[in-house]
Amino acid sequence: MSDVILPQRSSLGARLAKGWARMKREHIIFVLCTLGPVLALFGLIRIYPIAETIWLSFYDYHITRRRNPFVGLANYAYLLEDGPFHEALINTIVFSTFAVVATLVLALACAVLLRSIEKAAPTYELLFYIPVVTPWVPASVIWKWIFDPTYGALNYALSFFGIPRLGWLQDPVLILFALVVVSVWKMVGYFVVIFGVGLRAIPEELLEASELDGVTPWQKLTKIILPLLRPIILFSVVTCTIINVNVFAPVYVLTASAQGAPAYDLKVLVGEIYSNGFVYYHMGYAGAQCVVLLLFVMSLLFVQFLAFREKN
Amino acid sequence: MTRRSGIDRRGVLAGGVALAGSALVGQRSAWAADPTGGRLSIWLGYGETAPAYKAAIEDFKQLYPNIQVELLSFDLREFEAKLSVGVPTGNGPDILTLHDFIFPHYFNNDHLDEVPADLAKVVNDPKIVEPVFRDVCSREGKLWGVPWWKGSRAFFYNLDHFKEAGLAGPPKTMDEMWEFAEKLTKKNPDGTIARAGVSLRLTDGSGALQKFCDHYFAMTGHQILEAGAKPGTVRVTLKDKDCIDGGVKLLLDYIAHLHGPKKVDDWALKHDAQGFANGLASMLFREDWVVAFIRKNGPNIKFATAPVPRGKAWGNFHLAEILSVNKSSKLKKPAWDFIRLLQGQKYLDIVLQESGWVPLRLDRDFSAFLAKNPEYKAFLEPIPGYQAYLEPPNTAYVECTTRTGDVILAAFRDASLLGKPEGAKAVLFKAYDTAAAILKRSGIYSE
Repeated sequence: MSDVILPQRSSLGARLAKGWARMKREHIIFVLCTLGPVLALFGLIRIYPIAETIWLSFYDYHITRRRNPFVGLANYAYLLEDGPFHEALINTIVFSTFAVVATLVLALACAVLLRSIEKAAPTYELLFYIPVVTPWVPASVIWKWIFDPTYGALNYALSFFGIPRLGWLQDPVLILFALVVVSVWKMVGYFVVIFGVGLRAIPEELLEASELDGVTPWQKLTKIILPLLRPIILFSVVTCTIINVNVFAPVYVLTASAQGAPAYDLKVLVGEIYSNGFVYYHMGYAGAQCVVLLLFVMSLLFVQFLAFREKN
Repeated sequence: MTRRSGIDRRGVLAGGVALAGSALVGQRSAWAADPTGGRLSIWLGYGETAPAYKAAIEDFKQLYPNIQVELLSFDLREFEAKLSVGVPTGNGPDILTLHDFIFPHYFNNDHLDEVPADLAKVVNDPKIVEPVFRDVCSREGKLWGVPWWKGSRAFFYNLDHFKEAGLAGPPKTMDEMWEFAEKLTKKNPDGTIARAGVSLRLTDGSGALQKFCDHYFAMTGHQILEAGAKPGTVRVTLKDKDCIDGGVKLLLDYIAHLHGPKKVDDWALKHDAQGFANGLASMLFREDWVVAFIRKNGPNIKFATAPVPRGKAWGNFHLAEILSVNKSSKLKKPAWDFIRLLQGQKYLDIVLQESGWVPLRLDRDFSAFLAKNPEYKAFLEPIPGYQAYLEPPNTAYVECTTRTGDVILAAFRDASLLGKPEGAKAVLFKAYDTAAAILKRSGIYSE
């Protein structure tokens, strides 16, 4: 049998069977020993909870109650008439859209600019990265102080321009944008680094050649850089979307009803799931909301993969 | 139709919580097989009462030298969440410190141990504990907890602000309260409010509904949520004929004082106890603990407390903290002994001094404390004709008040409702529908 493997058009099943047949016993044992524990752990801490959550969503499961009857699709039916859930869904979509677009556009702009100052770029990347390693809770607490309507730095700064005091966290609209600001501040550094890596992978000769051909900077960006960054952009859009659709900690901290600085109770999807599960004890209904969130995120990712797929 | 076993599901829940990192530190004390040894655990949602427990632990060690007491305190909502997962899964604490809102969850599901006869005798004596608090933890003639302290709401007012506005004393009626608030409000040159005449609760649905309900009681003589005809059920009074006029007037008064020329408070102003302690509000409705908070955070603020202004009715809201023992605890006797210890004057004094919550034992003497701390007058001194009321047992309390409160809060922001009784009525009816739907879903709705 030849050692050379030629690419052939065959079904995935056939290819797997062929590969399996070629593997020696020792290889199989090695693969099982190395991948087995990881897969088992993945199944236990990822797949099983998801399966259990889906199962739970068909029960009227109340944490403190002994009798928790099967209710079929009733939890899903209730989602259609649950006003706070609809509000949370809309807020999450609006917030995620603004946060994803603002984060990625800003990160890409910073990364492109940093490419022009090659020597200083690592220092700036480090500075941009500091918020990324700051945990969400202390970061949110800092922003809560900044947004404080009476003593906050933001209102103080705006007062020099004659702008009257604003309730950044008390106004139903402003709080959404305040949250976008916090999210962008927190995540932009991560994507600056990711885009920076992508930009460094673009061959210098290609860019130099384009300059010799007389392309404008805008054409260079749109016709050369962005197409070549497509896989990096896809990764960034997917990651950023997942992070922002699952937003919870900053909302929880920024709207926490601490004495004196209570904020508008901004509803987001994960917050609603938390409230229904652990505050109102409707664990079954919270399970149904989790399933909807899962499907929602997966649909978004599917659309994004379709939009960014490589064209032959 | 099949139903999965509760044990399986609880196991899954416990595992999930542990994986999420939200399970409590430490093992369940119920593991201890020896009733004179092991770990007795206590979780607190009102951490400010911890000093009393810590003092009692020292004396408890004399009784049970081999038992280690584990005292953990959490933010109130976190405490409720941890308890709701911990107790049904057998991972809860030995001593349950339950406020009256969440007590029904644990009683209804048979998680509580019956109070021993000697303690029950004390609680059942109206000369020692007011019957209204005994009733909260009694079912079918049996007691399932010992009411320990109460929180009640009173009216706080800034003495300097009142003097400056030429006001001699606290308002006696609701109309007077609004009138005083207008006089006390200070505005910036740009028209924004610099100092609120009265700090109203404008955020957090549940808290907002509670405070709105204080005034609703004064205006209508009813609570928004009242006990239904059948035990354990709840009825909503927002559509009651004798409540509609008072409710509508109250909502319109709130809106009139949040928008337009009569404005006395604003969302973008520091609120609540902190706003009052910073001198940014002249009047406030809050519970006992705020006295200690103002002293600590606003030492220069001169203030006094008074009963809540009256309307059609006169009374104030109370909440009660109840001490119960977990039915699955292996240390029931030591747990009850710990609760017995906490009834001592020494520990009750600590609760009062450290937290401001008022112990429920009528046979204990707090006159020396009151003489030194006159700000507690409205909380400690009995006032003839002043009616104490509690929330009815309600297993959907938090959800019901949060969602209904959200409807009321949205109306506060709606300036188009100014002077429109029909609009205000529609809001109250919507609030009714919201509350009724939640109660129906929880199976505790009463007409």
